[in-house]
Amino acid sequence: MTQVEPERTRDADALSQPFTPGAPSNPPELAAYPETLAGPVPPPRSDPKTAAFVEQWRNTSYNCYSSGHKFCREVCPVTQVERNESWTPTAFHANVVAMERGELDIADIAADYVNCTQCGACELRCPNTLFTGDFYRFRTRTVDVVKAVRSLAVESGVHQPSWQIWNERTDLRTHEPVLGETPVSQERVRDWAEGLDIPIGGETVLFVDCEAAFYRTSVPRAVAQMLQMAGYEFGLMGEQWCCGGPAAEMGYAEQAQRFARHNLDNWRATGTKRVLVLDPHDYISFTEDYPKYFGEEFDVEVVLVIEVLAQLLREGRLTPSVPVDRAITYHDPCRLNKRKGIWQEPRELLRAIPGLRFEDVDRVTQWSYCSGGGGGLPIEKPELTAKISAMRLERAAELDVDTLVSACPWSERPLSEAGDAEDIDVVDLHELFAQSLGITVGGSRGDVGDRRLAQERTGVPGRARRAHGSSRGGCGGGGCGGGGCGNGSGGCGCGGH
Amino acid sequence: MRERFRRLRVRGALTMTITEPTGTDPIGTAAFTTEPLSDDRLAQLVAALRPVLADDQILLAKTDRYNRARVPAPFPVHRWSERVPDVVVMPTSTEQVAAVVRVANELRIPVVPRDGGTGLTDGAVPHRRGIVVDVKKMNQIHELDLVNRTVTVGTGISMLKLNERLAQHGLFYPDDPASYPCSLVGGRIGTSGWSLIGSRYGHTRDLVLSFDHVLPTGEVLHVGDGIGQKISKSSSGYQLKHLFMGHQGTLGIATRATLKLFPKPEAELSPFWAFDNYDDAHACTGALARAGVATFAGAVLFDEHKVAYLRRDDEAYIPQPTDVRALVCAVMYGYEDEVRAGGRRLFRIAREHGARYLGDEISEGDWAARHDRYATPLHGRTKDGQVIPMSWHCEDAAVNFSNVPAVSRAWHEILADLRRKTDVFDDWGMFAYTSAATGVDYLTEIDVGIWEQRLDDAAWAAWVQAKRDIAAVALAHGGSMSACHGSCREGEVDLLPQELGKGFDVMLEVKRALDPNNVMNPGKYLLDRAYGRDTTDENR
Repeated sequence: MTQVEPERTRDADALSQPFTPGAPSNPPELAAYPETLAGPVPPPRSDPKTAAFVEQWRNTSYNCYSSGHKFCREVCPVTQVERNESWTPTAFHANVVAMERGELDIADIAADYVNCTQCGACELRCPNTLFTGDFYRFRTRTVDVVKAVRSLAVESGVHQPSWQIWNERTDLRTHEPVLGETPVSQERVRDWAEGLDIPIGGETVLFVDCEAAFYRTSVPRAVAQMLQMAGYEFGLMGEQWCCGGPAAEMGYAEQAQRFARHNLDNWRATGTKRVLVLDPHDYISFTEDYPKYFGEEFDVEVVLVIEVLAQLLREGRLTPSVPVDRAITYHDPCRLNKRKGIWQEPRELLRAIPGLRFEDVDRVTQWSYCSGGGGGLPIEKPELTAKISAMRLERAAELDVDTLVSACPWSERPLSEAGDAEDIDVVDLHELFAQSLGITVGGSRGDVGDRRLAQERTGVPGRARRAHGSSRGGCGGGGCGGGGCGNGSGGCGCGGH
Repeated sequence: MRERFRRLRVRGALTMTITEPTGTDPIGTAAFTTEPLSDDRLAQLVAALRPVLADDQILLAKTDRYNRARVPAPFPVHRWSERVPDVVVMPTSTEQVAAVVRVANELRIPVVPRDGGTGLTDGAVPHRRGIVVDVKKMNQIHELDLVNRTVTVGTGISMLKLNERLAQHGLFYPDDPASYPCSLVGGRIGTSGWSLIGSRYGHTRDLVLSFDHVLPTGEVLHVGDGIGQKISKSSSGYQLKHLFMGHQGTLGIATRATLKLFPKPEAELSPFWAFDNYDDAHACTGALARAGVATFAGAVLFDEHKVAYLRRDDEAYIPQPTDVRALVCAVMYGYEDEVRAGGRRLFRIAREHGARYLGDEISEGDWAARHDRYATPLHGRTKDGQVIPMSWHCEDAAVNFSNVPAVSRAWHEILADLRRKTDVFDDWGMFAYTSAATGVDYLTEIDVGIWEQRLDDAAWAAWVQAKRDIAAVALAHGGSMSACHGSCREGEVDLLPQELGKGFDVMLEVKRALDPNNVMNPGKYLLDRAYGRDTTDENR
């Protein structure tokens, strides 16, 4: 048997017993031990911008650096597809610690910070948020760190080429250049509303983000017509500029604030007290950035359209009655689910649509899902956005569905492209809900969406309806041409909507 | 081999530079240096890698290298720059890994495997810089064999992601470390990982059937029981599989592994019980493990220091009365009927030992959150209660049940000694986990908060000494210095020859035979001694 050394004996002191630091009952000598070993804190960086940045973000970064759990990694959309440890939430914090130590400078790190969609998954999955969040009112702030680094980069003259051009063109046109070489302009920002007779200004205005106003115009058309149907009074903005959020996300902070100032002044000029928002990205800008810019001065109520619709549904002012023959799953937009905790209302709306088969994936599983469309990623790295979208559609394709429903116009372009490869339609929640209210939405669903819609109208069935039509009592997946198979209204499973 | 070694030793004793490779025809081993590669050597290395890898698989930027210098184990932040590799590569196949290792071996440049980088010893830290081979892109599922219940994967996949895919087949891979959401299969092989539910399902060594492994010379070995891909027990030849697990990357790089799968359990029962004293809790843990309940997957003992630590915020045990001083949890997996029957037996045993059941809510919640509940930087405190962001670290050992209390007391006293001098270190309490179904031995771990921002050479030296003392206690009580992390870090590694005895000499022989040029993760486990150098006290 092993000979065990006798245990050391020493005079018991306050440290000999278990204790909880800070407890009122603790012996006072716990505060009396002199510090004999702690090293000095690193001296401040000589560059004043870097020094200020480090001062502001050091503790936040140590909270991650010191944790080292890295549980964020497999929920991060970029990390999941790229597997590059330099492009992880952990690295984004560790770099700040290295900056404090004088090991890295902004020019070393700036390009890495492109690789973030600012979806916020890492913040939710962080054990620091999960298990100390409530007590300390703490949340890991990767998105803010990423924005701060991008902003420091721009201030320091370190630009990412595509972001620089994008923001210059946005500045020139007051809207993002979402149509590529086709120019966007102030004159055309309300074109989507053609024929809908919406007044300008008023107490409540509908703000339509650049992507929806110029590219996926079916979304604002659906929203406007549903509100009109319910008798909900609203107008359009007098002179709407881009919300400024994308500029803020890419680090062009001054431009972002200038745009915000314009919009606030314009709301003031038209007596606007409430802004309706259909785009989750705008919702972040107006509820997080604008209050930060303007403080008390920002007294405008910001309301998400989905929440309005859910309320109108509950009050019986909107009742979907036209069956929609689709097998869907819902994509939780990151800025709603992960950043704002909004996941119930979209499901409430979807469950109210007759005829729909809804295969839901819970919101926590969806922490690791993303379209890749946020945070300026598709502007600087479209191929990375495409990979992330493809991964999202892979998950959808594992289900028995023909349609992925999103509620974020910025996600819908990349998701539609990836969906095409899987033969899955990508439809906006507002479009779908309007359809079920009997509204002919009009507008454009974007290149892929319009093409697929046109194909569908000529009788090409959707993916799951083709594969599973017979088992669901459909027409067996053959080209009946939409409505001629005698299987009842909308029940043939091959289009017709 | 012997002759060659002697020659190298003579040269090494004369001067370091003689062993430095020169030009395109290098001789001798990789240099015993922590200096970065010269520009010429770096250019030579990158030129040799270009035909093997695509440009975006060769990472040279500072951030790419700085972010692969550390793991979550305590890290001398003030000396970060000394551990930064020269090059990072991200291969996508066994062939690419082998080609990179051949280049490293030819050029005598250190090569260090990195998987999740979540280890708690420093296997993945490039002590001698060189090439970090990051396998994370090798995360494919190559083959799922539903009939024989195996899956073959790239070693860059995490268990969480694998299980997400296996769930649709009603299967799971039960390798369950604390780092389950982020550690990777390859790292589990390289460290011979320990699983929280190993008492029911076995540990990594039991769950990995076979794997492809790139040797330090760049040759590829398939290793398993015998040569089988999917054989769990063979008596053919030497049992090499264990040799190539747990070497902390010093014997090569696992690239593709075949794993054993289990039915995803239908039921889980995870009771938490409170005790008013540690001794009853300890006795209860032993009785639960010894009961021989087939669905028993593990028990965890929380000591008094751990309970005091958990009272630092309102989300753990503050609502519990002050007479709660120790906790025990157990977990069972299986079909509902067998779990219920086993559960009744364990509940009876707990009651007989004075346990108070904490209720379903705490039990289910705490167990579900087991991977990330307990250690966060926000729990760091000075002795008088000031909140300090602290790094979590834990020191582990394998100790027999009867010795757990004595080891615990001695370890807390080592921490108390540190805290008498400083607030850089904080005692976050201890867990003891069953390692096996019979309750023979336990993974004991002491969690230590470290205020990294205030580390300097003196504080780091005090920590290294504490680690050495902690390891010595485990050995003095007939245990092993590590049940799961590995024991190659500064401090405890000094005691490795003492723990292994003649076995350490065999380690040196094996290392030299397989890695004649000391290129594979050099500077770890005192293995430089195989090449005539004792670098124990260098670079401290």
